[in-house]
Amino acid sequence: MNLMPTLEGGLRLEAESEVDWQILYAIPHDAAGTDLASRLGDLVTDDSLAEDWNDFVVPDLKSQFDNQIEHVSDAIREAHASAEGERGTISIKPAESSIWYGVLNQARLSLEEMHHFGNRDQVDLTGQDPNRRTAFFRSQFYCALQSEMLRHGLI
Amino acid sequence: MSETELLTKPIEQTSVDTPWNVVVYDDPVNLMEYVTRVLMSIFGYHQTRATKLMMEVHEQGRSIVWNGDREKAEFYTQQLQSHQLKASMEKAE
Repeated sequence: MNLMPTLEGGLRLEAESEVDWQILYAIPHDAAGTDLASRLGDLVTDDSLAEDWNDFVVPDLKSQFDNQIEHVSDAIREAHASAEGERGTISIKPAESSIWYGVLNQARLSLEEMHHFGNRDQVDLTGQDPNRRTAFFRSQFYCALQSEMLRHGLI
Repeated sequence: MSETELLTKPIEQTSVDTPWNVVVYDDPVNLMEYVTRVLMSIFGYHQTRATKLMMEVHEQGRSIVWNGDREKAEFYTQQLQSHQLKASMEKAE
């Protein structure tokens, strides 16, 4: 998998194998594993606020987060469908970079919720369950993509 | 309870002037640079101030990033949450 900046100020992801596509499909799949809107809503605990927040704000946030996942899922599926063999590209335009960033964030939050990696620099995967190991590597990959988006001024 | 007692019962209410704090909490996922940029974008803070607040979040687990009236605090909290930051609001002491 390659990642490079585009002349339009976005990023281009180049998938080179079926494994790359599987990793890309895992982004929206992992992101859908958490109800982030409700988790954020739970932080608002003041009695005079909590009920309205859950009734009005949380559904809006949930809709926003779900739409982000759908957008990225569609982009990956369309790019895969138009790929030549196993090789294909996905363009992340500046206007949609916050959507991608948000989905990557949701994916990482979901994996963190499930596996509790904590500080990434101190994670010891020796003898760990294979699912946990692959989840950690996916989380690292998502984090690297986010870092590149920040580095290129897309966020 | 008599009608008189009902009328004289003190009513607990929050003054509309009570200031509110908007609070951002630390989490293990959001990147430090991202938190800084979100604070700059939402509040219009200079990078120096946004970075200082981000470091407070990182080192102390939370930071009061804004203080003011309830309506704006609700708006800012919602904005922070829509950027997926762990944010809430509380009455200022």
